[in-house]
Amino acid sequence: MTDIQTFPDVVRAHAEHSYAEELTALATVDDRPRPPSWRLSPWAVTKYILGGTLANGVDITPKYLGSERLVEIAVASLATDRALLLLGVPGTAKTWLSEHLSAAISGSSTLVVQGTAGTPEEALRYGWNYARLLAEGPSRGAMVPGPVMRAMEAGSLVRVEELTRIPSDVQDSLITILSEKTLPIPELNTEVQARKGFNVIATANNRDKGVNDLSSALRRRFNTVVLPLPDSLDQEVEIVATRVRSLGEALELPADLAALSEIRRVVTVMRELRSGVTADQRTTIKSPSATLSTAEAISVMTNGLSLAAHFGDGTVGAEDVAASLVGAVIKDPVQDRVVWQEYLETVVRNRPEWKDLYRACRDLETSN
Amino acid sequence: MADVHVLGIRHHGPGSAHSIAEALEIIRPDLVLVEGPPELDEIIGLVSDPEMAPPVAGLIYATDEPRIASFYPMAEFSPEWVAIRWALSNRSLVRAIDLPAAHAFALRMDSEPAASSAAEDDCGPEPGDAGPPAQLQDPYRPDAIGMLASAAGYSDAERWWEDAIEHRHGSPLDRFAAIGEAMSEIRAVDDRPHNHPDVVENTRREAAMRRLIRAAMREGHEGIVVVCGAYHVPALVPAGFPPASVDNKILSGLPKTKAAVTWVPWTSDRLSRESGYGAGIAAPGWYQHLFAHRMAQNPGNDLSSTWLVRVAHALRREDLDASTASVVEASRMAAALASVRGRPSPGLAELDDAIQTVLCDGSPLPLAFVHRELTVGHGMGNVPDTVPTVPLAADLAASQRRLRLKTSAAEDTLVLDLRKPNHLARSVLLHRLGLLGVEWGRPDRAGRTTGTFKEVWALQWKPDLAIAVVEASRYGTTVASAAATRVSEQARDAGSLSELSELLAMCLLADLPDGVGAVVSVLAERTALQHDVPALLETISPLARTCRYGNVRGVDITEVRKILDATVVRVCVGLPTACAGLDDEAAAAMRRAVDTAQDGLTLLPGLPMDDWHQALAAVAGSDRMHGAVAGRATRLLLDAGLVDRDDVAARLSRRLSIASPAPEAAAWLDGLLSGDAMLLIHDRRILQIVDDWVDGVHSDVFDDVLPLLRRTFSSFSRPERREIGEQVSRPDKDVEMEELIDMDLAAAGPAILTMARYIGWEAIA
Repeated sequence: MTDIQTFPDVVRAHAEHSYAEELTALATVDDRPRPPSWRLSPWAVTKYILGGTLANGVDITPKYLGSERLVEIAVASLATDRALLLLGVPGTAKTWLSEHLSAAISGSSTLVVQGTAGTPEEALRYGWNYARLLAEGPSRGAMVPGPVMRAMEAGSLVRVEELTRIPSDVQDSLITILSEKTLPIPELNTEVQARKGFNVIATANNRDKGVNDLSSALRRRFNTVVLPLPDSLDQEVEIVATRVRSLGEALELPADLAALSEIRRVVTVMRELRSGVTADQRTTIKSPSATLSTAEAISVMTNGLSLAAHFGDGTVGAEDVAASLVGAVIKDPVQDRVVWQEYLETVVRNRPEWKDLYRACRDLETSN
Repeated sequence: MADVHVLGIRHHGPGSAHSIAEALEIIRPDLVLVEGPPELDEIIGLVSDPEMAPPVAGLIYATDEPRIASFYPMAEFSPEWVAIRWALSNRSLVRAIDLPAAHAFALRMDSEPAASSAAEDDCGPEPGDAGPPAQLQDPYRPDAIGMLASAAGYSDAERWWEDAIEHRHGSPLDRFAAIGEAMSEIRAVDDRPHNHPDVVENTRREAAMRRLIRAAMREGHEGIVVVCGAYHVPALVPAGFPPASVDNKILSGLPKTKAAVTWVPWTSDRLSRESGYGAGIAAPGWYQHLFAHRMAQNPGNDLSSTWLVRVAHALRREDLDASTASVVEASRMAAALASVRGRPSPGLAELDDAIQTVLCDGSPLPLAFVHRELTVGHGMGNVPDTVPTVPLAADLAASQRRLRLKTSAAEDTLVLDLRKPNHLARSVLLHRLGLLGVEWGRPDRAGRTTGTFKEVWALQWKPDLAIAVVEASRYGTTVASAAATRVSEQARDAGSLSELSELLAMCLLADLPDGVGAVVSVLAERTALQHDVPALLETISPLARTCRYGNVRGVDITEVRKILDATVVRVCVGLPTACAGLDDEAAAAMRRAVDTAQDGLTLLPGLPMDDWHQALAAVAGSDRMHGAVAGRATRLLLDAGLVDRDDVAARLSRRLSIASPAPEAAAWLDGLLSGDAMLLIHDRRILQIVDDWVDGVHSDVFDDVLPLLRRTFSSFSRPERREIGEQVSRPDKDVEMEELIDMDLAAAGPAILTMARYIGWEAIA
């Protein structure tokens, strides 16, 4: 794992590689004090995430479109030695943000523990190379350090994805690491002490089912930042359009997404349903059990794109998005159906320019 | 020549207040002039009354028209309050300087003649009475220091004051001099035209202030301190005064009216910007903390740590975890955030963020609680009993005089004929007072009359009603506006849809179009969130009544109509699902709800009756639905002529089969038959169906279900039962006979025509 190389034809390059130029440019203009072993100052890190133009004319692309306040809080948390927990519903750019934060602060986003129901304690601490263990007995050479241990030794950031999916007993092994900043190795009667700059960014989903809630002892060691869904319609449309376009290119779909109107409509439906009020703030509506995050709007649009490309006339229209839109909204067949029908009859029906969408959705219902 | 110091402050700025206190100790003037209408002089002495506790507000209102009023709220940390207290306790004179409210009010009346004429005629709807009545009309008080602070990148103007003014200038006098210079700069770049309303108002006010300062200087005081909004400083320094004649020219010929003045208790909540007070402040509790911290002059106590400790205590009182270790972390976090944001020390924004991130696990809810409890706070002021009376009482007294309603300690009975305008106005006034909790009149039974124009009230004035009036005065300055505000508050707090419907009805009686608007908007929100179909069904009828009769009283019903339409659609969508799997009790409730909804739906034309009937058909057609509801739905469809006689007969026999449980069958039959007995007697279709079934059913089955039939019919009174029995006992042929009865159509024509007109069948006529 130590010899990570970049190849130009990888499906997805790491943040520190794709934005290497921006990071270098920031480092050259950054004259503010840097916390120990940070590559950039907190100011430069926020600049890298939020985007802007530097004094030397280099444009920094915004990585996170959203509240400046939240990014500042996140960076400030990491600058104190408290760990950072990014909470949010799926599709709110938690992982995206944590990757860019560690790329900017430690210059590497590759120290990751992916939390699953089967994540073992070794992933957080260390494992053994059994061949050497048998041959040499317990020694540093026979140890296989996990990402956390390597981050402690290097004084860099380590990311823990989906922390709440990890079994509780494994989660709790983080407590000593976070409070004492040491990792005891009883087999060798020694310990690894974290070097300055070590910290943990964890992400967790606060709307997931079947998760292991953090114990309060662990929770207390994290500063929690809740990432919201996008504030404004335009912002969300922009996010969806950018992502759908890049996904469409990756999948080499020939369909045309020239008009933003379809995206705007899907995003409007999602926003209205999850906020429980229409865009003009005049009518209150019920919300379905589904999350309806930006990520789902993206998948509805991608689906529509693919339908239009392979089965339609190549332009995304109401009938292309209707099926996946209904599927995204109705997760609970009884309650959500009522919610959706009410929305259809009281909101969609009364918008003359949405006639095609109304008809497409009604057609789906009768054909079911 | 007197030594005049002009000290520019930020209204409600604790930093300014602290500096004022220091400056006054240095200058020790024998006259303090505070920005505010000179009418306040009358009551300014009460500030030192031991029973006076801030926050309080000086209230000035036009005597003839209390609706025109201005509040001058003061908290402990208001610089004006500090200055007045200092003067009173140091035996210095204190006066208010500004354009007299008598002129300001008269000018305001001139600029809104429509609204003031409406207020004279209290019976009609009053468009100007909406919302918070007086606060929005406060004089133009620009927060120039706030502008400077935000230009410097500060979200909290008080932090800016501390960083930019206090830390840089040791002497308080230097601080105020610096403020004066900054304001000259600000005023120099002001490019608004001379006829801009704000500029005109400001010119007048500053001319009036200068006139009062000149008069004070002539009195031969040794030291004079002027405490005014920072923005006015450059205009009030005597060295830069224009000739007196210029000011006199500006002030001559201004209209004048009578104004009265009093103190009213104020609350922290109303000081905060959220309650709509224009010159308000976002965080009175935080400002109080800042002020107390500054005045205590204890450098060992860190401002943010003491605040965080208070926050932790408040959270613990609510059983939320807030350990000391977390407070330490939060404090470090706030400091780190301040440095990321490039601020010298953490302000309220940084503290809030740190609290949310560290103490509240990122959740905004506990933070909102902290905001309510501490940042805004629950402080409530108190005023001594000796203060003059409130405008609501004045308005009530005026209405009583106009409507010739005398207050009396003995109980009187008042019979009102609502067709007479004066009587209607009296009824409206009594209803409004009832809404305000001033229980002067109690509605009494109108006796044996079916008319809706007669109202009987029992009137009795008790001394404690005066207190109720004062209490109600916080809702507004006139009976109408106060009642409307109260209603909107009640609507916000209402627990159920039925309470809201009740309020809506009360608003119609009390003629409060604004109240109706408020109730309707809450209703819209609640109905939209309501998942419970019976509750939704029950709102249909009151809404429909409002639409039907609200029109008559001049209420704008388009919004109500929108809610009604949406509710009907949603009910129609949800009804079939909601009726499945009900137990007896829930089914009975649902049946009642369906009945009331049906009543409401028949009141108005243009409702989607087709959808409603489809929903009913879905309920009636399914054998799995509870009998009570299914039976009722069948009956409603039968009445509407939308279901076949044969269908009903088939369902009846299915429902009353041996296999179906007896209580179910009884409930179905009850649902089908109950209601007005006269309908059964005159519309023979239903009885005929039952009768046919009895005829055809096997005798064993009949024996089994006979008790059910008995039970159903037992709910009718004895004469009704006899009548029904007679109808059934007549031979079948009579049905046709009745329809073919020999009538003289020509003779009956005019009578039928009149009848048709009454019930609105224009088409026939």
